[in-house]
Amino acid sequence: MTWVIWRQHRAEVLALGLLVAAIGAFLLAVGLSMRSLFPDGAAHCAGVLTDACSTAIRRLNDEHGYASKMLSLFNLVPFLIGAFLGAPLVARELETGTWQFAWTQAVPRMRWLAVKLAALGTVSAALAVALSSSITWFRQPLDVLDGRFSADAFDLEGLVPAGYALFAFAAATAAGTLLRRSLPAFAVALGAFAALRVFVAGWLRPNFQAPRTITEPVAATDVDLDPGGPRGMTADRLDWTLVSGYADSSGRHLSVVEAVQMDSAARRAGMELSAYMHERGVQKWVQYHPADRFWAFQLMETAIFAGLAAALLGVVVWRIKRRVH
Amino acid sequence: MTTTEYALRTDGLGKRYRRTWALEDCSLAVPTGRVTALVGPNGAGKSTLLRLIVGLLAPTTGTVEVLGESPATNTPQVLSRVGFLAQDHPLYKHFTVADLLRYGRSCNVRFDQGLAERRLARLDIPLDRKAGALSGGQQSQVALALALAKRPDLLVLDEPMAALDPVARLEFLQALMGAVAADGITVVFSSHVVPELERVCDHLVVLDHSRVALAGDIDALLDEHRLLVGPRTTADLDRAGTVVEATHSDRHTTLLVRDGGGVTAPGWQADPIGLEELVLAYLRRPARQEPAHPEVSA
Repeated sequence: MTWVIWRQHRAEVLALGLLVAAIGAFLLAVGLSMRSLFPDGAAHCAGVLTDACSTAIRRLNDEHGYASKMLSLFNLVPFLIGAFLGAPLVARELETGTWQFAWTQAVPRMRWLAVKLAALGTVSAALAVALSSSITWFRQPLDVLDGRFSADAFDLEGLVPAGYALFAFAAATAAGTLLRRSLPAFAVALGAFAALRVFVAGWLRPNFQAPRTITEPVAATDVDLDPGGPRGMTADRLDWTLVSGYADSSGRHLSVVEAVQMDSAARRAGMELSAYMHERGVQKWVQYHPADRFWAFQLMETAIFAGLAAALLGVVVWRIKRRVH
Repeated sequence: MTTTEYALRTDGLGKRYRRTWALEDCSLAVPTGRVTALVGPNGAGKSTLLRLIVGLLAPTTGTVEVLGESPATNTPQVLSRVGFLAQDHPLYKHFTVADLLRYGRSCNVRFDQGLAERRLARLDIPLDRKAGALSGGQQSQVALALALAKRPDLLVLDEPMAALDPVARLEFLQALMGAVAADGITVVFSSHVVPELERVCDHLVVLDHSRVALAGDIDALLDEHRLLVGPRTTADLDRAGTVVEATHSDRHTTLLVRDGGGVTAPGWQADPIGLEELVLAYLRRPARQEPAHPEVSA
């Protein structure tokens, strides 16, 4: 049975393995050059503004500024891994009629399905972990400087890519079982994948745990105050700031427009914005998740995707058991 | 008794797809060792019946028993004893013939690789060729070799020769019959072409409009049926036995009767009937009137 699975899916497995290996090799090359900017390690420069560190960080931005865009492209790779293995798993058998051959050998249909799902699901997760490992290694200098909660970090590091790949695998397998065609299954899985990723990253993830809030009066000496919202209020610069702003003395949140109006009024009065706000009892506030919630959030998001994957595979099992034609 | 007298038994077997019945009230008993032809027009329910027999489908009503076991349970025991050749002999086209044999070996306990290799060597089918690059006839031979290598006690073939040219049909039949004669396998195969069956089959099942129109050993069926030819009449004809079909020309009436006692009236003559005529007569009968059938979805 193992040999049969390998023979049937080796082309996809090899192509995906090559893709992940090529990405890993590329990241290794550019990651090494990124690290050479920080001879003492990037952590050494986190929040420290020595001349050497300023130069290193400027060069990092100049020479590796493309990293973020490049990494966001890799968001598709966990989908490709899962969907290329899942879409044909059942659909190709149904398309070509070979299900009648496969399910009349002495391996019972449910066992055939269980072994295939387990083997190819494991390969999907393993390839995704290999991808996320190389990205996590590559991003280490960026992570210690900028945190791990941005979309090009959280979505590509740690465990979540394995969850994404498993979900793509299950969605493509289920769509293939129901539609009986690989290509439409691939397209349907892509739609489901994109919708779920956007929904979870945009709406659920910020609320995995209740965000913390800090509110404090604006100090008259706070000369770098940005009317768009206060910055750097949390103790750790690697925290995930969800939203920040100002509130009047009664605690009512001020809109950005109100804050900008205050800024112009302060300018007309020839004052610093901070002093102007300070006189009126304005407070600044921030909602954020502490940086050490990273792994808890990773586990929760992975559990959501893996849980939905399990439910979809349940549909596949139910469908094939009841089957067919 | 240790051996099963009947390789295949069905009782009240039915399969419904959503609201239409593909097979209804099918009760059959095929003795062990018979070569059974399953005949009927396209859409009569042949493929449904065969898939129920090999366990690819589960019945909606009734039971199937294959070699004493229920195929729908899908146990390795029953799966390993039944060989199946699906319609259009689907194979993994990008597998080489050797790959296909290895597939069979890795998924069957008693797979006889040597048997399959000898069979394919005799037919000059190269093992390193991709299945998709073989001719239709060769593909069907590979599929047959795979099914036979399972050393099945029951071999089920769905329209095995439908897509083959006459030479390939003949070769296929020879290969099939050679194997059957050697091992005493029970065979059920479906076809909508009658003439080629007579030489190879000894049992017949005629399916029409999802129901069994006729079933039995071919010799017995031919014995039981007579063509009665006499002067034209439209009178009560049942005295001559069960009338299967009555046809009238200007001067003569021809009756196909079953269980008739022979010629009863003067001027009548009884003739034996050929297999093809017999099958066609049953297939020409109008679809059975649907009785007040309790609808399932009320």
